[in-house]
Amino acid sequence: MPTATIPSETIKEIPKNDFFLTPSCILGAVNPGTEVLISRIYDLLGLRWKTAGDRAESKCTCCTGFSSHGDLITIESTLLVAARLWSIAAEMGLENITTACVTSFAIHTECLEMYKHEPGLDERVDRWLQQACGRRLQFPKHVVHASDIVYDNRDALAQKLRYRLVDHRTGRPLRIVDHVGCHYAKVFPEKAIGGAESCDVLAGLVRAWGGETVDYPERRHCCGMGFRQCAIRPNRGYTMACVLKKLESMAPWKPDAILTNCPGCNLFLDKEQWAILQMTGTEYNIPTLSYSELTGLLMGWDPYAVVGIQAHTVPVEPLLDKLGIPYDKSKEWLTKEPVEVM
Amino acid sequence: MTKDSSVRNKVLPTDLLSKSQAELEAVPDDELVTSYESMRDQKAPEDETYPNIRRLYGTPLEREKDRREVRARADACDAEMQEWYEKARNQPCTWWLKNHLVAKHALKSCLACGVCTAQCPAAQYYPEYNPRIIVDAVLSENEERLAELLKSDTLWYCGQCGSCKPKCSRENNLMGLISSLRFLAQLKGYHLHSVRGRQQYAMRHLCGGNLWNRACTLYFRNVDAANHPDFGPRYAKYHAEADTQMVRLGASPDRPGQFGGRKLPPQTLAEFRACVAWGGTLALWNQLERCAAEDAKKNGVSIDEYHDRVHREG
Repeated sequence: MPTATIPSETIKEIPKNDFFLTPSCILGAVNPGTEVLISRIYDLLGLRWKTAGDRAESKCTCCTGFSSHGDLITIESTLLVAARLWSIAAEMGLENITTACVTSFAIHTECLEMYKHEPGLDERVDRWLQQACGRRLQFPKHVVHASDIVYDNRDALAQKLRYRLVDHRTGRPLRIVDHVGCHYAKVFPEKAIGGAESCDVLAGLVRAWGGETVDYPERRHCCGMGFRQCAIRPNRGYTMACVLKKLESMAPWKPDAILTNCPGCNLFLDKEQWAILQMTGTEYNIPTLSYSELTGLLMGWDPYAVVGIQAHTVPVEPLLDKLGIPYDKSKEWLTKEPVEVM
Repeated sequence: MTKDSSVRNKVLPTDLLSKSQAELEAVPDDELVTSYESMRDQKAPEDETYPNIRRLYGTPLEREKDRREVRARADACDAEMQEWYEKARNQPCTWWLKNHLVAKHALKSCLACGVCTAQCPAAQYYPEYNPRIIVDAVLSENEERLAELLKSDTLWYCGQCGSCKPKCSRENNLMGLISSLRFLAQLKGYHLHSVRGRQQYAMRHLCGGNLWNRACTLYFRNVDAANHPDFGPRYAKYHAEADTQMVRLGASPDRPGQFGGRKLPPQTLAEFRACVAWGGTLALWNQLERCAAEDAKKNGVSIDEYHDRVHREG
């Protein structure tokens, strides 16, 4: 149903079960807790889901997204890699692809869309896939991002959460600025909850869990990850400049945290805050969390052993203090040496 | 693969780790690949990790092994898309725009309204970058103008965020169009004219190396503190103990598993590589090698020095 926050043309059907979860290269590399948390949340919700293969025989690979947008892999190779994953999902009886990464979401969606616009492509890809690995092209019923599923279950989760987005000392709703990944909302706006302009996939969580959202001026600006821009060091000024633009824009609202659904955004909005402090002398210190990290924290899961907040550059502990979430600082690091933090 | 190994002293696999590409040239293809794979698949006696993966990634040995594997695989592969991309190199740019799967669907029409440029993050950062001008060049169908675009730095400024897409009243896909043009620039060797374009050789062995060897685009050790001083000392501390932190959080650094850092079984890697090859990607990777070798020679540097140089230039 259309609501005050979601235009009717951007309501999308979110499947309720039978999910094939594709992991994310970036999350796995830099925020491993965030990625594993998705599986914990699915279990918490009692969903039927699987990744490809058991632990020793994982069949799941990269979707090629980073390399595709890094201009290193042909679209046909990407179509084949996606088709292979769909074939495995079908083999496992799972008709819905759910991605941990927003670029994977856009890649799988783009592949699906391409078959609608290019006559005969399905026959060609099916033939190549058989030649490459003996599999057959089988289309999934839905492609959704993991944050879609959390959004769809936000009220059910609200009943399970041990903490709410409220400063427990004052009762003030915490002010959360969202940053929706470009490849979730902009590449196929009609596939995003609320579309590109009024995307609600994160704001809806904040509202449901007791917080306050802010529509800051550069809310829809890219984080600047940029694939080849962040991967090659001399290009990284672009990434930092985009992050700075966003931080300057949101700072007047004094946000308690930034909420993301994209691995790249979660990485750079957090980590470039240190470089920006060094370069400009301005200390923003705004904790940045993914929707799965926030869910984990509000569930009361261990901040260090389960959520993995120690992977963050901006300390998350001040936010935990506001939420009233206890933590044992001695569990942060696994080695004995003292650590200097910003 | 070449098999002309003269009688030599057999080297131990680990000896190859410290060798440059020039030194590795004398090692026959099959020995190089076998040595790499035997090191990669050597399991630690005390646990389930494969400790040599961290020693192998990003080395001249891995790059040289990849060069030869990709060349041999491409020679043996009769994939129609590989042939298509090899032929496309010699076609006019306008042919590409009408025939490449992404390019031909990317542009419907253009009002030249400039909304793509008005809100483009890259156009805000790089004053000389203007996606509307790129569309204009494409619509001109002027070979000379298109070649000039493919040789420029500005082609490489797009961040591939797609911010332009929902704004365009004609639903043009500029992100896809620009990526397609970058692909053509590399196939034609025009990327060598641009410092940003030359960086693709570093990308080929960073993201492409991860794809080929680990079926992921980003290996967790790529994001180390040395390569990311901008992430600060707290992250450096985290990354120094990344292996144990990842295990604690349920990930699988250099070991079998379902999440971050996992070592994939050979069958998965083989299927993934076959998909990459049948889609024609090896035509691009071979072309990038040819261009890099030519440019390195012109500049009087080794291919290893060239690789490191294009990583730092910009």
